[in-house]
Parts: sequence; structure tokens; C-alpha cells
Amino acid sequence: MIIGLLWGYTLIEPLRRTMGAAFSIGPASPAWPLVITVTSSVVSVSVLIALNGIVSNDRKMGYYRFLFSKSVSPVAYYTQLFFVYMAGVLVAMLLLSGVLHTVVGSFNIVNYLLYAAVIYIAMGGIGFFLSVATRYDWVSLAAVWLGSRILRDLYGAKPGWRSKAVELLPPVHKLSDVSMSLITNGTAHTSDLLWLIGYGALFFALGLLFLRRGSLAD
Amino acid sequence: MDGVLSTPDYNRASTFVIEFRNVGKIYRSLLGNSVKAVEEFSLQVGQGEILGIAGPNGAGKTTLIAMMLGYLRPTTGTVEIMGLPARTYVERNGIGYLSELIAINPKWKAETALVRYATLAGIPETEIHAHVNSVIEKLGLEEHRDKRVKALSKGNLQRLGLAQALLREEQILVLDEPTHGLDPVWTQRFRGIVEELRRPDRTILIASHNLDELQRLADRVAIIDHGRLQRVVSTGYDQTHHTATRFRLTLASGQERIRESFPSAKEAGKGEYDVTVRSIQELNTALADLISRGALVASVVPERSVLEQQFREAVGESQ
Repeated sequence: MIIGLLWGYTLIEPLRRTMGAAFSIGPASPAWPLVITVTSSVVSVSVLIALNGIVSNDRKMGYYRFLFSKSVSPVAYYTQLFFVYMAGVLVAMLLLSGVLHTVVGSFNIVNYLLYAAVIYIAMGGIGFFLSVATRYDWVSLAAVWLGSRILRDLYGAKPGWRSKAVELLPPVHKLSDVSMSLITNGTAHTSDLLWLIGYGALFFALGLLFLRRGSLAD
Repeated sequence: MDGVLSTPDYNRASTFVIEFRNVGKIYRSLLGNSVKAVEEFSLQVGQGEILGIAGPNGAGKTTLIAMMLGYLRPTTGTVEIMGLPARTYVERNGIGYLSELIAINPKWKAETALVRYATLAGIPETEIHAHVNSVIEKLGLEEHRDKRVKALSKGNLQRLGLAQALLREEQILVLDEPTHGLDPVWTQRFRGIVEELRRPDRTILIASHNLDELQRLADRVAIIDHGRLQRVVSTGYDQTHHTATRFRLTLASGQERIRESFPSAKEAGKGEYDVTVRSIQELNTALADLISRGALVASVVPERSVLEQQFREAVGESQ
């Protein structure tokens, strides 16, 4: 919330001050892509913060010992926690987009929440898996997210096996299109949405499988 | 006076509750290095039994307990509780567990932590406060209930750890170094609590470095070293076992008659003698003889407890 407000304030407020009475940001205005970039980045940062250490922290700190000596399934516990955090992220995004809506009237809150939900599943699913599998989940998630983007930019369009291999990486290249169309119009290519949600859901399921089959202790 | 000795033939338990079958655990690093933490460990723990687990640092005690709770998967073998894979049993029924390291979120208040653990343990909402108040009272945490976990002393944290393990009437209790950090008063009280917890349908495992504690509380003690079960010692008296055991005898009077009853007695101080016997029968016969000669015996103390003696032998053998 704080990061979002600061980010929004430092980017949009100077614009508003400069333009004065002429300030009006809508989908057709040149500043609109900037609004989308900032608001979509806020979602990514929020997901990163929300899921930081969701599983790995309990492991690192040893909290799992007392938690899971009770009649509790780790799979059920962390699934519940994942969706509770999702609700938390959506509430934070609701408040943030409410504030933004008062400044930029054409900013659609529902569309933004839809986008936040999609990104939570897409990015959060991978983050959850990394939290189950590694100790340094947010660093790994940031590396995977950025690394995928860079590798796709480098090899995505080139012929050969590399371009095929990068297709297996998280579909971060679809984010720009999805964020623009989903936040602006409330729609996006079904295939892009399926890719994003499917990829995240697959890794979330893999994380749960690791929890079930692997060790809770380090 | 402690009895002389010990055998592994424990048959009091009618049902095995916990069974380790050829359990092994190898830790492998990403670089391919491996460490055998536990090897070919087989042991059955009966219903109503208090089993002690003793071993030097790094012997594999905590790894064994982690496998018993399903936190670690054995590399080989199986751990079963009531015929179920260990993790399945824990998820269905829960276990009262006090870990060696008490890890509770430091921001939580003591009472809040207990309420949360009680909720996780499946205690009905209407009964949670009764359960929490009961363990708070039992562990003397009344004045600390509103303190944050990070503000608790080591001893109080240990008591909080024990409190969460006792929230529900569990069939199985696992206590890893339970008196670590407790002052002598609470160490004594802890023993009383464990004695109260003893029930025919409850199985208790206590891992401890404190052999005296295990001698007092446990029915049997499994001695582990280098990840292997070295021996299982019954802490009860065994009148059939014969091994040389040294006692320190203190006489209030009749010192001049000591060698008539104990020919090999060595003077250890004023009125104190070290005597070596091969059985408690031999000890009692010689003592009776000494007393009949007019000596007044003030105390008879074994040089080492039965368990300590067995522990030294077992750990020495495995070196």
C-alpha cells in the first residue's frame, strides 16, 4: 500500500501539477501507458511482498515444528494461507485503486482487481513453488521473473532450440499486453490469460506436491 | 539407591504404538557430499511406555524425532505410528511435541500463541480458553501471558513450549530436551508433570542429555551414537544381571569393621569407602553383614547410575 501510494504520488502528482486544469488522463491520453506501467508494477511488487517467505520462513525460523505437530495438513494450511494472502493483496489493491480512481476518474477499479487476481495466480504460483523449494524465495522469484524476460528478449525471436526452450519459461512477455488490455478494457486474449494463470497454477500445484512428498524440515 | 542393571527385554507393552523399521537417513549436499545421520535403526515403542532417547551431540536423536513427526523422510526404512505412516498419523491425530529449539513467532503474545496452537490442534472454539488457562496455570505462566514471546526468558520460553505440547490430551508426547533452560525448581516440577502425564494409553518419548532425568522418568532408554541404536537399557532393577559396580559407602560408625564385610573396600575420605560388587545381592549380603557387626551405614550411592554406566559403555564401544 505504502509503496503503491508513494509510487503513484511521485509519478502522477507532478503530471497533475504541470498540466493544471487540463489534467485529464484517459485511455486515449499519452500518459495512460505510464499509469498502466506503474499500477501493474505495484501489483507485481505487492505479490512479491505478500508471498515472501510464505513457506520458507516457517522452515528457516523453525515455526513448522509446532505448527505441524498439530493435526494439520501442511498442504491444506499453505493452500489456505495462499488464498488468504491473495485476499489481502486484493484488498490492498482495492484501496489503492480507490485512491487512484479519485485522481484519474477513468481508472476502472474492477478491471484492476481482475488484473491483480490474474497476476497473483501467475506470479504467486511460481513464488509459492520457489518458497517450497528454496530458502531465498523472493530473490529467486525476482530472478526468474526478470531472467525470463531477458532470455525471451534475447532468444525468443531467433530460430533454433533456444527459442523453443524459452517458451517453457514463465510467460512474462505477455504481461504488457495483458496489463494494458485488462486494466483498460477489462478484457484480454484468452490464450494469454490461460498461459499466465495456467503457468502459475501448475507451479502452485507442483509446490503443493513438493510439500506433500518432500520434507518439511531443512 | 539405584539398582544394578538392565536388559533390553522390555515386554510390558502389549501394543506397539511407534515402530522404526530399518530407518536410515542420509543428508546429501548439492555438491554430492553425504552424511549418514541415522543407520539401520529399528525400535518399537509400546503403549503406556515412557522411552528415553540418549546420545551424545550429533548422535541422530533430533533427526530420529524429525522422522517420527514426518518432518523428514527417511532415506531407507519406515516409521509408523499406530500402523500408519508417521506423517499421516500426525496429520490425523496430532502429537504433543516440544522441540529442542523453541521457535514461536517472537511478535506473538504468550497467550495468543497458545490460542493459535489450540485452534490448529482442533480444540473446539468454546473450549480453547479453558485448555489455554489450564496449561498456563500448570506451567506457571500466569504473569507472562500478555508478554510477547521475544520478551520471555529462556526458561519461560521453554515452559511456553511445553504448554503448547500439553494443550490437548494427546496419545503421544515427544519431548526433546524438555528441561533445557529450566531452573532447578521447574526441572523438579517438570518431572512431576511427566509423572502425571503417564497413562496406560499414552506413549511418551523424551530425548535428553540428562541421564539422571531419563533414569528417573523413563521405562527404557535407547542409547544412540553415530546414528545407530547402540543398546536399549531398562531403567528398572535387574537382579539377574551381574557386572562390577562401584558404590560409595558412608559409615557413621564401625569404620574399623568395613574390611571384614567388604575386603576390597578403599578409603575415599572420612568415613567414606569405595566398594565394588558384582550384584545387588552381593551388596545387600555384605551390607547386612556389616550392620550385624555393629556398623552404622549413613548412605550407599552408586558411583554412576545404571544408565550412565551403560551409556559410557555403549558410546565408548561405538567410538
